Amino acid sequence: METYGSVSLREAFGEALREAGAKYPDIRVLDAGTRNSTMSELFQKVYPDRFYTAGINEPGMIGLATGLAMAGKRVVACDMSVFLQHAYAHLFTAARQGEGLHLIIAASHTGVAVGPDGGSAHDITDLARMRLIPNFIIITPWDGHQTKSALDIILAKPGYYYIRLNRPKVPIFLPQPAPFEIGKAYLLREGSKLTLIALGDKVFTALQAAEELGAGVADVIGISTLEPLDGQTIIASAHKTAKVITIEDHSEVGGLFESVAGVLVLEKPVPMRKVSVERVFTTSGEPDELARIYKVDLQATLETCRIFL
Amino acid sequence: MYKIPISELHAKAGQIRRNLIDLIYRAKSGHLDTSLSLVEVWLGLVYSDFFRCNPKDGAWSGRDAVFLSEGHACPVQYLVNADLGYFDRQSVFDGNRRPWTPFQGHTQRSLAHGLENSNGSLGIGLWQAYGFALEWPQYVFCIAGDGEFEEPSSIGLLAATHLCKPAGNFTLLLNYNRLAQDAPVDIGPLGKVAEAYGWYVIEVDGHNFEALDDAYQCAVADKVRPKFVICNTIKGKGGDPSREGRLGYHGKPPGNEIEYQAYLQACVGASQSSGGAA
Repeated sequence: METYGSVSLREAFGEALREAGAKYPDIRVLDAGTRNSTMSELFQKVYPDRFYTAGINEPGMIGLATGLAMAGKRVVACDMSVFLQHAYAHLFTAARQGEGLHLIIAASHTGVAVGPDGGSAHDITDLARMRLIPNFIIITPWDGHQTKSALDIILAKPGYYYIRLNRPKVPIFLPQPAPFEIGKAYLLREGSKLTLIALGDKVFTALQAAEELGAGVADVIGISTLEPLDGQTIIASAHKTAKVITIEDHSEVGGLFESVAGVLVLEKPVPMRKVSVERVFTTSGEPDELARIYKVDLQATLETCRIFL
Repeated sequence: MYKIPISELHAKAGQIRRNLIDLIYRAKSGHLDTSLSLVEVWLGLVYSDFFRCNPKDGAWSGRDAVFLSEGHACPVQYLVNADLGYFDRQSVFDGNRRPWTPFQGHTQRSLAHGLENSNGSLGIGLWQAYGFALEWPQYVFCIAGDGEFEEPSSIGLLAATHLCKPAGNFTLLLNYNRLAQDAPVDIGPLGKVAEAYGWYVIEVDGHNFEALDDAYQCAVADKVRPKFVICNTIKGKGGDPSREGRLGYHGKPPGNEIEYQAYLQACVGASQSSGGAA
């Protein structure tokens, strides 16, 4: 598959955010002590007056961010995903402020792809947590180019957004500007025997798997908006293939698998399989190694496909 | 200075206390004791000469913002806003704690109704208010409960002057009625800690309009430091004297006609002695 090099989603985000700073004077960026991990420092270095830190204080940061959004600012609050667990009540209360606010939560370091820092740093439950909060639109870009497209679009329209980023460099496989529309799932490749549905950098894995399976075998659907989920595209594919596999670097609880199952069980029940992390605490290791251990890599995807077929 | 004579403020306080008692007795639920403790604090603020709001245009960009962090005190917020003219008082009686109304059991943000923030869990509204103040050109006030400072992140707000930046337009009004839901509250060295972090700390009798006037004028005169006003109040103030300042009545409305009358008599008596109308 053709790629255009590689970049981590957080780096792509940081660069896109800095660029957006020139376009929107009312952007305010917030940090909770991880600016050089989330790459929000790229913005801070150019626009120090539009950057606030709460210190290592996630509830405080989300509270300040909400208040700034209430004051009419275009707010981007950035943190390493797992630490946002501290701020859950603040996130709920943010989304209860009603219409007109523009609040983007950017979470880097998601999934086991975080790597050697270990289980305490792997956020494999963020999608489950955020799906529970009404009003939040959940964005799961696939590569660096789509991260930029997505950020440009969510910066243009008020709302509550959660954008899921990650730590390691991942292949860039979309052209620039990459396609992105809020609430739209993309049918990226067509087949008739199997549907692969993936989000985040696992979309690349799904495309690789489909290529290995050969022409005409698998539909591949890329999810860049998990909430609200584009049920129509998923249902249409399930009608055609009658077999669905989801692929995500996230717990099997509350993420893509359960979202898709929730749609299909009501509209078009078909057999499903999942490529996801079990409901466990994870271990240290290199990202590729962990993807293998927790069976969310290409190999595990192919194996699941072959058994299912 | 107030916009109206203090005698009128007393009359308004008597009216609002009477309304609070009726409102919460009729609803059979709600936090009467907390609301009663905030009547003078809230009225004094919105009738201060510096205070700007526009009940005909609640989202007016020239407004001074009042956040409520201890959301269970919303009945007093609703009645004060009705008094200011944001909406009819009857609409509060019709809508209090009912489905889909603007008068929920805890505040739901609606600028048109002068309700600046949605609240609920303690320790959250005060952070939102501080964030708001960072870029709001006018004054920002936040009414917070003493028990809220048992939430660790609330104590953390005191350090926002250092970690983030001092918001010179921000005033936190602490409703120090010394009682939480299940236990007494002692804020201990909180004032000293606030001072150490660069807050302007003021302590005031939260039921005395003259004292509150002094405190509020001092607060807005200082444009550099955030203000931490410790309002000494009495939970259940002006209601049933046997429940005033006593533990065990948090969120407990008068349970029957006899209890309701005990509240009412105290309220009417106080209004008569101060010359106000019930």
